[in-house]
Amino acid sequence: MNERYSRQILFPGIGQDGQEKIRHKHVLIIGAGALGSGNAEVLARAGAGKITIIDRDYVDASNLQRQQLYTEADVAEKMPKAAAAEKRLRAINSDVSIRSIIGDATAEMLEELARDGVDVMIDATDNFETRMMMNDVAQKYKIPWIYGACVGSFGMSFSIIPEKTPCLNCLLRSIPLQGMTCDTGGIIAPAVQMVIAHQTAEALKMLAEDWEAIRTTFVSFDLWRNQYASLKMSKAKFAGCLSCGEERTYPYLDQENWTKTSVLCGRDTVQIRPSTSGEVSLEQLAGQLSSLGYAVKGNPYLISVDMGGQRMVIFQDGRALIHGTKDITQAKSIYQRILG
Amino acid sequence: MNKVLFFAHLRDAVGEESLTLDAGGKTVAELKADLAASYNLPKMDTVMTAINEEFASNDEVIQDGDEIAFIPPVSGG
Repeated sequence: MNERYSRQILFPGIGQDGQEKIRHKHVLIIGAGALGSGNAEVLARAGAGKITIIDRDYVDASNLQRQQLYTEADVAEKMPKAAAAEKRLRAINSDVSIRSIIGDATAEMLEELARDGVDVMIDATDNFETRMMMNDVAQKYKIPWIYGACVGSFGMSFSIIPEKTPCLNCLLRSIPLQGMTCDTGGIIAPAVQMVIAHQTAEALKMLAEDWEAIRTTFVSFDLWRNQYASLKMSKAKFAGCLSCGEERTYPYLDQENWTKTSVLCGRDTVQIRPSTSGEVSLEQLAGQLSSLGYAVKGNPYLISVDMGGQRMVIFQDGRALIHGTKDITQAKSIYQRILG
Repeated sequence: MNKVLFFAHLRDAVGEESLTLDAGGKTVAELKADLAASYNLPKMDTVMTAINEEFASNDEVIQDGDEIAFIPPVSGG
């Protein structure tokens, strides 16, 4: 094994054997925001065999304070986060096979990836709808995953191992209201880093197959208020759980339960996802809109249209982000004005 | 008596890191409903509860002397 991983190999929990195992594993990271960037960087540096990273958004100036893979150039070019992350991760470690997916993490996509072989999933999403879907995929395909989330100076993490630990659906029983956290008090980078540290330590244990070392408690902390809690979870497993119980149905893999529109956390933005998927010719659309007098900017992955008050960003897969509104009806009407 | 600890935005809503009150004999759900009414808290159904640092479901009954913590699951990432 080359010099590059020598310090990690010296660490007794990993060693030569552990490093060899890490090198043959596939990590799926869902989300390339703050948690996704940090997790991806640590695991790429650690020499994971393959990393797949999925994200639906593009880099915005307000991301730079905590999303460690991105630069001012990515903001200026409105680079999709997944594409910018892939480029940076390749520059960090060319040993690692990196795949980026620009788009929504759908159940169909996650199941396809799971069938091809995923060893660990990292939760770096910003919503519970996607987390519950990951949770069902994890249970169905027996893939361990690591929940992580943060807001303000507060963060939490829990390792979920199918057939062993309680799952996210056991803990929550239903999708919590997003409103409880989205618009509260921003976020500071140390809270992000603390969650990343917990998630990546657990991921390394899983990749190196040191199952004995997995943390069995649910950890949460508040770095500003100096609160720490570690909850024992042995009683949390729920026999009637629809995701991991005896009569499981994996409810969040059902397409009927997906929403076509969603308000993005803390962004004053609505995402619209078309009901049929297909590629949009961005070049053609940009040309049409310019000739109608709209101010259009773009790159090979997306175009951005100024709508006076709102701004719409359209991706190749037909998804659009409408900035400057939290009103789903208004966002839909703006979308339909342009894309029918 | 019981010590009740609040995390994240619940602490801001209550205005204290912890309260001491008598919750013996109540279920977790009942205590949540009482607190939600007294402090005008947002929906508490999905807030995670620990009794003596162990995860507790909404129907668990609180004993005198138990320490309760309320930890809201957050979604940011």
